[in-house]
Amino acid sequence: MELSPQRKRLLLGAGAVVAVAAAGPLLIANPYASRLAQLLFLNILLASAWNLVGGFAGQISFGNSSLFGVGAYATSMLWLAGIHPFLTMPVAALLAAIYGVAWGWPCLRLRGPYFAIATIGVAEATRIVANHVEAAGGASGLTLPLEQDLGPVLLYGLGGVLAFAAVLVSAAVRKSRLGLGLIALREDAKAAAASGVDVSRQQVTVFALAAALTGLGGAYYALFTLYVVPEKVFGFDLSISLVLMVLVGGIGTVIGPVLGAAIYLFLEQFVLASLADIHLAAFGALLIFIVLLEPRGVAPRLAQLVRLIRRRTG
Amino acid sequence: MSSAPAGSVLLETTGVTKRFGGLTAVRDVHLALQEGEVLGLIGPNGAGKTTLFNLLSGQLHPDSGRIRMLGREIQHLPPHRTCRLGLARTFQVPRPFLALTVFESVLVGAQFGRRVAGTAPRRTARECLSLTHLGSRRDAPVHSLNLAERKRLDLARALATRPRVMLVDEVAAGLNPSEVRETVGILREVHASGVGVIYVEHVMEAVMDISDRIQVLDQGATIAVGTPEEVTRDPAVVEAYLGRAARTDQDGPAP
Repeated sequence: MELSPQRKRLLLGAGAVVAVAAAGPLLIANPYASRLAQLLFLNILLASAWNLVGGFAGQISFGNSSLFGVGAYATSMLWLAGIHPFLTMPVAALLAAIYGVAWGWPCLRLRGPYFAIATIGVAEATRIVANHVEAAGGASGLTLPLEQDLGPVLLYGLGGVLAFAAVLVSAAVRKSRLGLGLIALREDAKAAAASGVDVSRQQVTVFALAAALTGLGGAYYALFTLYVVPEKVFGFDLSISLVLMVLVGGIGTVIGPVLGAAIYLFLEQFVLASLADIHLAAFGALLIFIVLLEPRGVAPRLAQLVRLIRRRTG
Repeated sequence: MSSAPAGSVLLETTGVTKRFGGLTAVRDVHLALQEGEVLGLIGPNGAGKTTLFNLLSGQLHPDSGRIRMLGREIQHLPPHRTCRLGLARTFQVPRPFLALTVFESVLVGAQFGRRVAGTAPRRTARECLSLTHLGSRRDAPVHSLNLAERKRLDLARALATRPRVMLVDEVAAGLNPSEVRETVGILREVHASGVGVIYVEHVMEAVMDISDRIQVLDQGATIAVGTPEEVTRDPAVVEAYLGRAARTDQDGPAP
């Protein structure tokens, strides 16, 4: 039976939900497996959000940690003030979106490497400021109430919902008028403007959306690690890792960030962890290899493989 | 072709000037496009034709002078705003969206261009593709198109914004004679559908064939305006294109 592409995608999505739900009880039983699942969900959320701007609009950001940190701190501080964690999440998303628009709106007037450099500046400035805000714990950060931990079941479910929502948002944007305008301006901003695309507005809109999702990621991170510190949540490492995930998986595709998030987690946990001090150099080398050898990531290769298998069997 | 009906003015510039440092690229240009008219814009390389297009479409803004579209001043508007008011353009070198399919490219124009009640973007895109003879290539990736097809795609994308005025920049350049005829035929259909056209072109048989009036620029300034017959006989035009000696040759042997 031949299925329409929409049906196929629907089936794939439903399959993923069932698989995530079925794997839940197994993973939750083991603290390490539970943490890996949380990190995977987080990576999928963050990489999908990064790809909205980097993949569809073609604006490479090295500054998403600034949005992640805002979300992480918003949730932490509100939780410490006695507000239920779930209620803090919309606030975290909103504040990250506001901060994102505040610096994205001027920076997105730049394109290509100029935008990328500006994002590094903003993120580093944010990190340094965060280190000096005593009300937020300064450089030593905030420790969250361990006794109020949501527990592995809720965290697993929450992570799954967030990751799935991010992929849905990504797929919806790809198929929407917004997504078409973004790809057009990525391919040729002048021609897009001449065709009626408001380049600045399209970019700021998608950046606000990506910032909100990234802020949610920060909030989720705070909920499962129970510890936020500027060097971590506003750190450059985080921003770089998002770029890597999406490049490994396949930039500008919906499934690429998901694949990249998983591959990155595997490499980080099982390969690079053993390299300890030189892991950043290893990441750098990996990035160079991808850009030189497989600039479109593994997603297109995977599609090729699927076609090949189908031809062999069908 | 009959001369333009005495309709209303679609697009008009008064005293438009643009300087780049010490160079005046466009100097005090007055231009008026009547409803239902094709206005040819010719001149030697560097005459300021493309700069004038960039000024009209909002890519550049004039240092002085006014541009009016249907009575509204537009010289300060950015390109996406002029597009939504009904001013579409093509580019001298086509600017395709290489990652999209032919249909998706045209859909960009249809979804973001001028809003017209009772039109559906997908239907508009399909109509523009068939008008530009690209209907059979609708699902092809844009990067697979040849030059002639890319030029027609630029036209289709501009048309899909439902313009009142089309600025067409050298759409026949680099094409073989049969492709030129095909393109001129498409421009005729665009014109027949009620769109005013300003047509910059070096391929004389194309621009002379289709234009109601021709305006000639040289070094940024207008040197002649008139019917194709009038401007080709104008001594100033002949001189701008061929130099002074040519005019003397035409008048007879030099003294």
